[in-house]
Amino acid sequence: MAARVVTVTAPTPTLLERLYLPEVFKGLARTFRHLAKNLANMKGLPTIQYPEMRRKYSERFRGRHILKTREDGTLACVACYMCETACPADCIKIEAGEHPVLAYEKYPTVFEIDMLRCVFCGYCVDACPKDAIWMTKDYELAFFDRRSAVLGIPELTEKPSDTGPDGPGYGYRPYEGESPMRKAGQFEPSGLPLLPALAERGLAINRMPPPPPPKPAAPPAAKAP
Amino acid sequence: MSATLANPFAPPSISFGPVLEQKLAGRVTAEPRPASDIPTLVTDAATLKEAALFLRDDPAAAYDLFLDLASVDRSKLPGDLAPKDKTRFQANYILYSTKRNEHLRLRVNLPAKEPAVPSLVGVWPAANWFEREAWDLMGIRFEGHPNLQRLLTHNGFVGHALRKDYDKKQRWLCTEEDLLQTELAAKTDDPADMFETMTLNFGPSHPTTHGTLRVVMRVDGEKIVAAESECGYLHRCFEGMSETHTWVQVVPYTDRLNYCSPMINGNGYVRAVEQMLGVDVPPRAKAARTVLNEFSRIMDHLVCIAANLVDLGALTNFWYAFQPREEIYGLLEACCGARLTSSYARIGGLAKDVPENFVEWSRSLLPTIRDRMADVDGLITKNKIAWNRMRGTGVVSKEHAIAWGFTGPSLRASGVAYDVRKDKPYEMYGDVDFDVPISTDGDNLARYLVRMEEMRQSMRIIEQILARFPKGPINSDDYRVILPPKEMVYNEMEALIYHFKLVFEGVKVPPGEIYSYTEGANGELGYSLVSDGSGFPYRIKVRPPCFPLFAAFEHVIKGGMVSDAVATLGSLNIIAGELDR
Repeated sequence: MAARVVTVTAPTPTLLERLYLPEVFKGLARTFRHLAKNLANMKGLPTIQYPEMRRKYSERFRGRHILKTREDGTLACVACYMCETACPADCIKIEAGEHPVLAYEKYPTVFEIDMLRCVFCGYCVDACPKDAIWMTKDYELAFFDRRSAVLGIPELTEKPSDTGPDGPGYGYRPYEGESPMRKAGQFEPSGLPLLPALAERGLAINRMPPPPPPKPAAPPAAKAP
Repeated sequence: MSATLANPFAPPSISFGPVLEQKLAGRVTAEPRPASDIPTLVTDAATLKEAALFLRDDPAAAYDLFLDLASVDRSKLPGDLAPKDKTRFQANYILYSTKRNEHLRLRVNLPAKEPAVPSLVGVWPAANWFEREAWDLMGIRFEGHPNLQRLLTHNGFVGHALRKDYDKKQRWLCTEEDLLQTELAAKTDDPADMFETMTLNFGPSHPTTHGTLRVVMRVDGEKIVAAESECGYLHRCFEGMSETHTWVQVVPYTDRLNYCSPMINGNGYVRAVEQMLGVDVPPRAKAARTVLNEFSRIMDHLVCIAANLVDLGALTNFWYAFQPREEIYGLLEACCGARLTSSYARIGGLAKDVPENFVEWSRSLLPTIRDRMADVDGLITKNKIAWNRMRGTGVVSKEHAIAWGFTGPSLRASGVAYDVRKDKPYEMYGDVDFDVPISTDGDNLARYLVRMEEMRQSMRIIEQILARFPKGPINSDDYRVILPPKEMVYNEMEALIYHFKLVFEGVKVPPGEIYSYTEGANGELGYSLVSDGSGFPYRIKVRPPCFPLFAAFEHVIKGGMVSDAVATLGSLNIIAGELDR
């Protein structure tokens, strides 16, 4: 027990140190060394002169949310309520509607995030199964009234200005780099077992059907369950 | 008989003295516990005081440190978990023996109607505020308590907020009369008193409280004759809110406990849940958590020292100490995406893998920390003014520190080498070589020196782990507790089902309970968790390390000067976020 304990004791000051004045000058030497160093290197100061200067944040910064769109400009969101459920602050409100395009099935008629309630934890991004909600590096979220702090679909939908040269840029998102969402024909199962509860009930789950082979000679990409 | 009593203490097994064994026969029983939890003894309200005295005084038990009082209302527990007898409430006293390095839970089951137990303030003075808190939030009455007032809520509050039948939609207005009404403040000047004393109100909004704390002092000139402290100004129902959220959703709340070192709270919390689940996290996650814990500890100590020195008038050190903290925040932000509200820990791993350049980045921070620490060291450690202000002020003796339930740097500065990282190693602390700094003086200077040395030891830990930072996955592959990778969720039905069930139903933590503890920046950060098997926590009780520190504050400053009280408050490092929850 004694071997791993280090006892710190206050050092006994020597006579020179007790004389006080030499120590004052030593202390001043230290502070003036910093002053000189800082004057010589004004650009390297740790202080950031906001708003003229801005901090560079990482690619994971959790700022204002954006809703991603498909290639045709419609929202990628399918109104599955996953983000609303995952939100610890209850700041997301979704109302679902039937999409006129049959293939899209469901879409949000209302998608609101209350920026005053939001704690910017990123759980909505983690929860989204459709890669539809990301966050940006925009942290300047000030509003004149409470109502305008509730951002709806028009404000949340991704705009070119979000990623433009003066825009905040993408922040927290499910992946960095290319989307892992595979297109038809690239499907490979990883062999994750069924949830035991589901397997017990004999619930058959339709795997994604093997895509039509691009070439007749290509082997089937997926095996039957 | 002896078998039932000796059972929970294995290893090392202890045997009770033959006299007490006969005295307590049949009235104290051991409860079987899983290996991850601490041993538990169950007694009844009539025997409690006797058992407590025995556990404190018997050399084979020697539970000298009172850590926590976790109360549970079991009225909403489902079916087979519900209490078999007609009891409803539970008072769990968490004890620790500094001599034997053992934790113990002493449990009393209490009836639904007017639950009452004898107060243990006479046995462990640290129980004082914990009992007030349990009375305030759970409505358990402690007979013989010297001052059983509400603590975290105000006097205008009706009901007990953590009872399961309390309607949480109610709102209670707090007027000025509902605040702490002390006899101290109301006392008029005693004409017999030759030297007139006066009442001084300190806080809750005072720059040196670094938060919202209130102390009412009776001063004779500059000297504090008596004092009484009040907390609860930053109470935001952490424990109550946790019960309405899933296990994972609690993580963002933990960031706001000790906001000077948010990551330690989150990592401690998920570790507690992982212990309940029996999930093991990969070595890489353990290493990352350990490194981030130590960086957080350095940050916390820097803030504590810097703010303490500002209170003493040494402002320059503040800028020096805050520069490395600033740079550490950059690293934390690159890991989790926020500087303070990190929400990085997840049950079974971390939210994302650490950045690619994590090891190099972490290493590059250490020289700055060393340099700026050398600056503070050079300006303060042999400084005559700092000495005169800190030496011999706010003295806490070893016996007092234990009696008041101190943990962490404040306990170590009083000469007790209890550090959870060393005594009960978790994550990667068992694999690294570091020392536990202690001091025997127990004054403000000793606390400053211990914190300085602890930062050096933290850097040693970080260096050792970075030298062999493991590769491999960051998260457990048990997708019943952690979200599967996005690549699988987007493309596979099974992964999507796991994902869906986790988001909608939460992690299904098996029914049971645990007391899990890690070393926070201020001391032992304990989580008493109770699960009923649903996706939501049934009860979460946090043991905030600065709760007993602030409870003892009024005793520590008695007899000193008002300006020394400011120095002491800073060096005890009271963080209102975790104090009030």
